[in-house]
Amino acid sequence: MAAPEVHHLFHAPIADHSFSADRNTLAVTHSNTLELYKRNGNAFRLQDELRGHDKTITGVDIAPRSGRIVTCSQDRNAYVWEPSSTGQWKPTLVLLRINRAATCVRWSPSETKFAVGSGARIIAICYFEEENDWWISKHLRKPLRSTVNCVAWHPNSVLLAAGSADGHARVFSSFIKGVDDRPEPSVWGERLPFNTVCGEYLNPTAGWVHGVGFSPSGNALAFCSHDSTITVVYPSGPEQPPQAVISVATQLLPFADLLWISESEILCAGYDCEVYRFSGQASGWQLTGSLEAAGKAGAAGVQREESALNHFRSLDLKGRSGTGADDTKLRTVHQNTINTLRSYEESGAGVRKVSTGGVDGRVVVWTV
Amino acid sequence: MANINWRTINIDALEAESSYNFDLSTLTPAVQPVSTADVQALSGQIRQLSRGGDNEGALRGALENAPFGADEQGKSIHLSVVTEILQNIRQAEMTPILQRMYQSENGSEVCDTLMKYLYKGMAQGAPSANATTNATNARNVTPQATGFTQAGGRNFGGGEGGGQAMSVLLSWHEKLVEMVGPGSIVRVMSDRRTV
Repeated sequence: MAAPEVHHLFHAPIADHSFSADRNTLAVTHSNTLELYKRNGNAFRLQDELRGHDKTITGVDIAPRSGRIVTCSQDRNAYVWEPSSTGQWKPTLVLLRINRAATCVRWSPSETKFAVGSGARIIAICYFEEENDWWISKHLRKPLRSTVNCVAWHPNSVLLAAGSADGHARVFSSFIKGVDDRPEPSVWGERLPFNTVCGEYLNPTAGWVHGVGFSPSGNALAFCSHDSTITVVYPSGPEQPPQAVISVATQLLPFADLLWISESEILCAGYDCEVYRFSGQASGWQLTGSLEAAGKAGAAGVQREESALNHFRSLDLKGRSGTGADDTKLRTVHQNTINTLRSYEESGAGVRKVSTGGVDGRVVVWTV
Repeated sequence: MANINWRTINIDALEAESSYNFDLSTLTPAVQPVSTADVQALSGQIRQLSRGGDNEGALRGALENAPFGADEQGKSIHLSVVTEILQNIRQAEMTPILQRMYQSENGSEVCDTLMKYLYKGMAQGAPSANATTNATNARNVTPQATGFTQAGGRNFGGGEGGGQAMSVLLSWHEKLVEMVGPGSIVRVMSDRRTV
């Protein structure tokens, strides 16, 4: 397994990050500015700062084909940034009509819409209206009972999964006439007018849902929540109980985000600062390991090889044992909570590389 | 109007659709309501098992049938049963019992329930001796009657007996965390089905 590619960008938390389709541009939230980094050999150099939001930016997403960037912030606004011919970025304000902070934003795979989750118990589905030259937002309200922590799109760009602080993961239809094509019937339903609730799932403890995701085929849903569990749901058809709901309780700290890398594998990352791998299918799921496992034992061995003389000398000089730096450093690559986990490179068989962004100001690219 | 601090106005109360105006208990997973009499009957059975020498079976029974839907009195009766059993089990037996429990079916959930009782027990001070009496006393004690509301309301498990109970709970906690990791502690904190 190739060593992870670590980019330590700054000393501030990264709420969200996104790579462009050619993976040469990296957009990172830094307090209330959006920073754009350009790849320069093996490193990323700061190239542009997009200013416009008054408060902390909570979400960013780059549309892979059009290159448009959407950001949302605690100032209750979203901006769509478009590249202009002069190399400048032109922001367009999107009125979300929410009275609480926006928490997360994602483009639909069709790139004609995006969804913004918010603390106002609303998901704003935004689409562009040509006649008015303006982004319109339509609200998904019912039956959200609390802050929306995360949103994820189904490959058909109509179904949207959302995880909320009321402990539920839900699947909604965000069908907008004139924007979307009528979706193919699927396990989630056939007729899907706007705000149809296609599924509503509660985890056993009703802990906050931090991350949701559809499997690559869109026929299964996974969510991770604040009770250190991940739950995978296999629906059987519209208006019917799901064929399987599998909840895996782990011994770890909670996960903040998850990513399906194939139909039978999920990666999760969160408060343990590590990326964990789960695998399974409708009959059951289990934790199968971590992406960091390789090389870790070697590092620990080096640390042990320390003479008694050095030990007592450092105890005498510094008042503690150990060589200084190591006892303030975690054994993991990330030195703090991982906030987001995203697909970086995909091949026919699934995701090959993933990127993580964390509270420690690092963006790390991992080979799966 | 001028002397009202408008920043302190609760705007949620004024909006019909706000979260302030709906019943938060609808968010919690449905729990079966359990009457106090049922809890009492159950605790009788469990004590019988324990007296018969089957502490492990008694503990398992108590944890699998934890009355999440009982009222405060019912819950404190069950808590005192659980802590009684925990105290009956010798230190050397703790780890094997936990191992068997964790590896059985639904083991993770049973261990989470045990963790809930450990924390509840620690919050109570000296649970075995005072839990039941506390619950009944609490209603009779009025602030005027004693004048020592703080002292009356909280019991620090004073004296030898309390310390003993606490050390039992702590050693159970240590052994349980070794097995189930911090995940179980997080689950206890986030779970809305309280014991």
